Amino acid sequence: MKRFLILVLALLFSTPLLAGQPIMMVRSKLKAADAMEVLKETVQEYGYSIAHVQRCDGGMAEFDYKSDFYRVLFFGKIDEVRGILKRYPEMAPFLPLKIAVIAENDETVLAAVDPRALAHLYGHNPVLQVQFARWYNDIRSMMEELRHYRKK
Amino acid sequence: MKRWLLILALISAQAALAAPDGKRLYEENCSACHQSEGKGGIGLPLTDEILAQLSDEYIAKTIRNGRPGRIMPSFETLSDAQVGAILKYIRGWSTKPAPVFPKVAKRGDPARGKPLYEKNCQRCHGKDGSGEGSGTGVTLSREREFMVMPAALNNPGFQRSASDAMIADIIRRGRRIGGMPSFRKKLSEGQIGDVVAYLRTLQPPPPVRGSEEWAGKAAYVMESPYGFDETVEALKQAITGANFRIFPARYLEQGLTDEFSVDTRQIGIRFCNFKELYHLLNIDPRLGTVLPCRINVLERNGKVLLVSPNIVELSKLFNNRELSEVAVIMEEIILAVMEEATL
Ligand code: HEC
Ligand code: HEC
Repeated sequence: MKRFLILVLALLFSTPLLAGQPIMMVRSKLKAADAMEVLKETVQEYGYSIAHVQRCDGGMAEFDYKSDFYRVLFFGKIDEVRGILKRYPEMAPFLPLKIAVIAENDETVLAAVDPRALAHLYGHNPVLQVQFARWYNDIRSMMEELRHYRKK
Repeated sequence: MKRWLLILALISAQAALAAPDGKRLYEENCSACHQSEGKGGIGLPLTDEILAQLSDEYIAKTIRNGRPGRIMPSFETLSDAQVGAILKYIRGWSTKPAPVFPKVAKRGDPARGKPLYEKNCQRCHGKDGSGEGSGTGVTLSREREFMVMPAALNNPGFQRSASDAMIADIIRRGRRIGGMPSFRKKLSEGQIGDVVAYLRTLQPPPPVRGSEEWAGKAAYVMESPYGFDETVEALKQAITGANFRIFPARYLEQGLTDEFSVDTRQIGIRFCNFKELYHLLNIDPRLGTVLPCRINVLERNGKVLLVSPNIVELSKLFNNRELSEVAVIMEEIILAVMEEATL
């Protein structure tokens, strides 16, 4: 029953934000460095821990490429990550979860894979599907917060 | 249960009754790529000057058709009223009225259009019309060959949305923002018709395919004949041998729990080729959502497994043909690395 409700909820709230697109994206009016700070706070408010921040721009600058802020935030909940990896080691590539933070001059684009878009690659496994729907809801809500966030 | 159905019914009824809000819909569905007020980003600019060249019909069809293989998704679930609201909102940025083009245009001769295309258009739009240079939209933070990447003219979404008369008008007037010159003085009306006819013959390249063996699977999984530590070493060697730079390895649980309870028998070996990365981020800035390259080593019930994401399957989520082509090449390299490490 609970599982059913989650699925119903996931369906219900899955309309906006690039409806049904496998890559979820939002634009934030914040500068990338600020967007990253707000995202970090938001992720923690949703009960996740931050695993690390991957700098893609640093390495490129070293090789003399002009590149602006480009980072990826990795986050997860230890119990979830442990539980899923124990049963499904082939989920390893997708854990911890991640959101890319991409500078576009004074604005920022945030992008993440909609975990539900992976379901068909896991044979629509019902346990994973419920987990994917939960992650999707969290990522979507977090992104929406960034989309609406205005500097005080 | 009944109560749930009631709520469901109420919510859908409410959604159907409220008049769609174009600004909100644009921000939810388009602004991530086309930026606020259509200044352009991963998507092309939709500014005053460009809107003056685009008919309502073309914009509405573009929303519906998207650009298969060229990042822009097709928005099939938006209602006609919602598409109309977006259109109205976009038009609000422009002071000029929407152009209306005649339904039937004089058809030119594609054979005469071909050399004209090669001489005048190919250097920007590519030999087969796929577009020259890597990526799409407006160049913002990273260096690229063009300030605005020339659109793919062989794209089925474009071909289905644009009328002959509208394409002819774009050729006549050019696109100042993207640096496309006006051809009004260079080409006669007849020649413009010939170029349009030739454009209609351009075909999108055939879809790319990855390895049959791994198709439809989320990850490449291989079992190692060695112990855990030996496997990690062998993997690092194979990665270095393939000319990648290795980052410090990370436990999959690292940062999520304290260092004493981290499972040290699940590790991610991360690597990158910055030159390639730079090129890839130009093709699709959203790629960070699946980066960096990582092959995971996990111990499970005495077995040691190598697990890496199936990048060909993942690339399909991006609706970006250019990216999928690279993914097929990368797949071969990653599978070779994994095989070498488990030999
Ligand atoms: C994920 C990114 C993305 C999203 C979301 C997106 N687009 Fe696009 N759009 C593009 C790209 C990329 C192109 C250009 C394709 C090319 O270069 O061949 C494009 C092209 C267009 C064009 C053609 C412009 C011209 O000059 O002819 C229009 C119109 C357009 N988009 C409108 C929209 C609207 C309206 C929405 C929201 C309903 C939207 N797009 C959502 C990426 C996107
Ligand atoms: C100097 C480079 C350049 C040349 C030469 C050029 N174009 Fe373009 N073209 C562009 C760019 C860049 C865009 C997208 C610009 C924008 O939307 O601001 C574009 C857009 C277009 C579009 C609109 C496509 C869409 O999806 O919106 C058409 C049609 C087109 N070009 C046709 C042609 C034809 C036909 C020729 C030759 C007669 C030509 N172009 C020559 C750079 C060029």
